[in-house]
Amino acid sequence: MIGIVVVSHSPALAEAAVALALQMTGDTRPRIAIAAGAGDGVIGTDAVRVAAAIDEVASPDGVLVFMDLGSAVLSTTMALEFRESTVEVRLSSAPFVEGIVAGVVLAAAGAGLDEADREAASAMTAKNAQLGSAGPPVEPPAAPPAAPEQAAAPATGEVVAEATIVNDVGLHARPASVIVASMAAFDASVTIADADDPKRAASASSLLALMGLALGKGTRLRISGTGPDAAAAVESVRAMTADGYGE
Amino acid sequence: MAGTATVAQLVDWLHRFAASVAENQAYLTELDSAIGDADHGSNMTRGMNAVVEKAGDPSTVDALFRTVGMTLVSTVGGASGPLYGTFFLRIGTTAGAVGELDGAALSAALRAGLAGVIQRGNAEPGDKTMVDALTPALDALDAGLAAGDDLATAARAAADAAAKGRDATEPLVARKGRASYLGDRSAGHLDPGATSTALLFEALAAALAGAETA
Repeated sequence: MIGIVVVSHSPALAEAAVALALQMTGDTRPRIAIAAGAGDGVIGTDAVRVAAAIDEVASPDGVLVFMDLGSAVLSTTMALEFRESTVEVRLSSAPFVEGIVAGVVLAAAGAGLDEADREAASAMTAKNAQLGSAGPPVEPPAAPPAAPEQAAAPATGEVVAEATIVNDVGLHARPASVIVASMAAFDASVTIADADDPKRAASASSLLALMGLALGKGTRLRISGTGPDAAAAVESVRAMTADGYGE
Repeated sequence: MAGTATVAQLVDWLHRFAASVAENQAYLTELDSAIGDADHGSNMTRGMNAVVEKAGDPSTVDALFRTVGMTLVSTVGGASGPLYGTFFLRIGTTAGAVGELDGAALSAALRAGLAGVIQRGNAEPGDKTMVDALTPALDALDAGLAAGDDLATAARAAADAAAKGRDATEPLVARKGRASYLGDRSAGHLDPGATSTALLFEALAAALAGAETA
């Protein structure tokens, strides 16, 4: 499992962001180290602390680092020269809070460094889509949205099911993280779409893309999958949707 | 003679810089409050006070600057920590385990420090950063040494050039650091980092000139 390092000017900010992210994981949690503040209550960053945090969570799967702003980036690049571990370290360009949430959930789900980094970095895209602003459209990285006509005639080998969202606040962050985490168990590519508007679709492995769909209570989902475990994966998502994602 | 900088003189340089930063703490913070986050004076004072506390009486140049660099990295807090930290660490590794530096060796070490700052901050001359004081200072030092000036004279010229470089940051629009968030509104203010760098070279000139100009 990849390790997560959180670099911030403020220990309170870092701890709160990590606590928010951990609300979305189950018992399986990645190793997370915080390097925040410059000691003695000083707001700032310290490259030596960052290096120690990287070494603390280093594993062969690599380390993904989230930074707030300014000197956090400078201190982290400097820490790469100080650290003792030699595993791959990636500095995420993601916005701080969204990036930490995505990184922690994906790490817990067993995502590798590439996937977690890519997914976290897409956070602004998902937020733009959610706000309906002029940002670039959401592009689910793993599975393209199913074309509308496929809804009637599934492609060869595609497994399709439908379920309706029962949660009062819809498919928000925590249900999305439950879906994403469950996908780690299957060798399948699963797409979740609004059955009445199939262009609104996202990969079931993409936390931020799922959240970006902002699917509300009562939305009928079209769940489609391909791959060796497609049947089991689609059924899993169908069942957990009907069940309210354990909420 | 052309002159050398001994470890003791370099320690003196840092003591003088610490005193100068502390004396100008309010001024540096005032500059930083105009275009940054109003912490440059307090950050540098805290960092250099820690340097003075930890510098001790090292026997080699690399040991001295390793302590200085690591101390700043861990105590400054703001962007100046990794930037000044990198500057001094590179000076130390380039100078090596020697007890004194002649003009050429000091220049080479300072050049390595400048290269480290540029690499760390990804800044170029004209970005309204400490690079805008460092670069002309080192150019003046080299020009003086090349003309046969002794080290003290060349260091004096470097301090004057750093001050000019600092003054030249006033009309610039910041392209790096917190000040760059202000865009055009950053023009019309001296850059705090270039200002502290000018103090650094003023302290160097004083340390190499000897006690009589202190």
